[in-house]
Amino acid sequence: MNWVVWRQYRAQGAIALALLAAFTAVALWQGLEVASQWHSLVATCAGNSGCLRQGDLIRGVANGVPYLTLAVPVALGALCGAPLVAGELESRTSDFAWSQSVTRTRWLAAKTGWLLLGAAVCGGVVAVLVTWWSGPENAQLANTFITPQYDTQGIVPIGYAVFAVALGIAAGAVARRTLPAIAVVFAGFIGLRYVIDDFVRPYFMTAVTTYFHLTGPGVSPPGAAWMLSQGMVSPTGQVVSFAVPDMYGGVLPASCQNLLPSLGPVKGGNQSMNAVYSCLQARGWRGFVTYQPASRWWAFQGIETGIYVLLAAALIAVAFVIVRRRDA
Amino acid sequence: MSERRAARGQAAGASEGHSAGMAIETRALSKRYRRASALTDCTISVPEGRLSALIGPNGAGKTTLLRILAGMASPTAGAAAVLGDTPRQDPSFLAEVGFLAQEIPLYRRFTPEDHIRIGAHMNARWDATLARTRLEELRIPLDQRVGTLSGGQRAQVALALTLAKRPRLLLLDEPVAALDPLARRHFLATLTTALADAEGGLTVVLSSHLVTDLERICDHVVLLSRSRVQLCGDIDSLLAEHKVLIGPQKDTLPIERTHQVVQAVRTARQSSLLVRTNGPVIDPAYQAEDVTFEELVLAYMGADEASPARHLTTVGED
Repeated sequence: MNWVVWRQYRAQGAIALALLAAFTAVALWQGLEVASQWHSLVATCAGNSGCLRQGDLIRGVANGVPYLTLAVPVALGALCGAPLVAGELESRTSDFAWSQSVTRTRWLAAKTGWLLLGAAVCGGVVAVLVTWWSGPENAQLANTFITPQYDTQGIVPIGYAVFAVALGIAAGAVARRTLPAIAVVFAGFIGLRYVIDDFVRPYFMTAVTTYFHLTGPGVSPPGAAWMLSQGMVSPTGQVVSFAVPDMYGGVLPASCQNLLPSLGPVKGGNQSMNAVYSCLQARGWRGFVTYQPASRWWAFQGIETGIYVLLAAALIAVAFVIVRRRDA
Repeated sequence: MSERRAARGQAAGASEGHSAGMAIETRALSKRYRRASALTDCTISVPEGRLSALIGPNGAGKTTLLRILAGMASPTAGAAAVLGDTPRQDPSFLAEVGFLAQEIPLYRRFTPEDHIRIGAHMNARWDATLARTRLEELRIPLDQRVGTLSGGQRAQVALALTLAKRPRLLLLDEPVAALDPLARRHFLATLTTALADAEGGLTVVLSSHLVTDLERICDHVVLLSRSRVQLCGDIDSLLAEHKVLIGPQKDTLPIERTHQVVQAVRTARQSSLLVRTNGPVIDPAYQAEDVTFEELVLAYMGADEASPARHLTTVGED
């Protein structure tokens, strides 16, 4: 069966290889430029971290490279995953393939196995290049848990690619037609990314919360941490965010509320706010920051990759059951 | 007693599966889809070494039957034994059965040579030389994309590939339907040559609408109509068993009592009854004539259509 898979996919493989080579060339060319800029920046700033963070890195044509990474899984899922079963059913070549002396299970295992491996390699190569290329930029960033840093670097792109391809295969097996399966790849991948980015990823691990005195200096988490929320909390547990402009209305104790400057351009600036903070401090209020420490970056990558790979495994299982059981 | 009946007796004797010498045996095979029934209570047997014609109107269940026998689809009820084995997804079963679907499924962008090599990687038993020789004899280019070949050439490529498996049973689903008469003749010639070469080791079931083609090459028939088997057996025995009785218009009851009337055509002056005889016809009022294969097929195809009297068709007045 391996030779059969090679014969069927060698054209796609050659195209993928050519695209990877082109991408590698661009990433190397631009990445080396960025790296040299970074080195001169390091020399100029002489250890001043503020200077390093503000220094300009010109990334030129490769500016969109990270986003391009996110297209890799969708392209693989739509162009290779979706037609894997559905394309054969549509052209009826399944009748040829499935009437040879190879069971459908083995046929699907060979095709699926090689394609998923190919997807993982494509996703991995692109991720390695982008990770290397983004090194200087990462050093400048306060937060590398955000798009397009977190989801174009490390190992999650491998999980994305494997998932999108598995989604294409399973959708094609269920729908028996390529076009609807391609639509499912787009909708499913973008939809799942949205759900996990916004609603699941912040809770991969219990966030760290640090409290501080309202009158003292604020606390900022060390390194490129992922700040989830910050604000003030009352002794009874009432939370007020710093972020909302008219935040304090009705929540603060009346005596402190009265000290608030009127809304609009704040008169007296920090000084009048300081009065409010002292008032709150005296009544047991505290400031807090909730964040995911920078040190958890790889753990998060591992968890997210695991989720996508597990979902991919479930989808592949569905494809196997359908191809084995359903009448051809 | 006909060979066919003898075979049936054998089948009834064997409680499970395979009787000796049978390539195909099915018992009350049924396939239901959500709404309609594609195959109902299909009980047939095809002896080894035969070339069996599978005939029936469109939608009669021919494709369903062939796909079940090939292990591509599973029945909702009943059982099938193909070469003594239940059709299933298993390399040893699949190796014995060659199946050629109606659409002549081939990879359009691959060459015949690609297909031959794919077959070599997907079959433990594979006669690549046989396929190449056959195609070279037919002057079909091995290195040209299948999509650029003519319909007749594609069908020949598909048949050569199916034969390269060296199957013991070949199931062909209307392979000549789309071919011009010459290509059809070439295709059937390849088929009969293969049968002769196999010296009894190959059984073929060929579905087609072209009764004259089938009559020329087949020695066995399975006739389906409205998802049911109407006729199954050795063609020569069936032709010997059936007679057209021509006689007076009235009083066909004595005939109906002894013989099974398949089709009755009545005009004002006379009745013409196509009957499956049960012993000799002794009524002097009737003149017995032989039936042709085509008459037989048409009678059984239409047999299910007349509503109140199930097997009778009335033409003419009164």
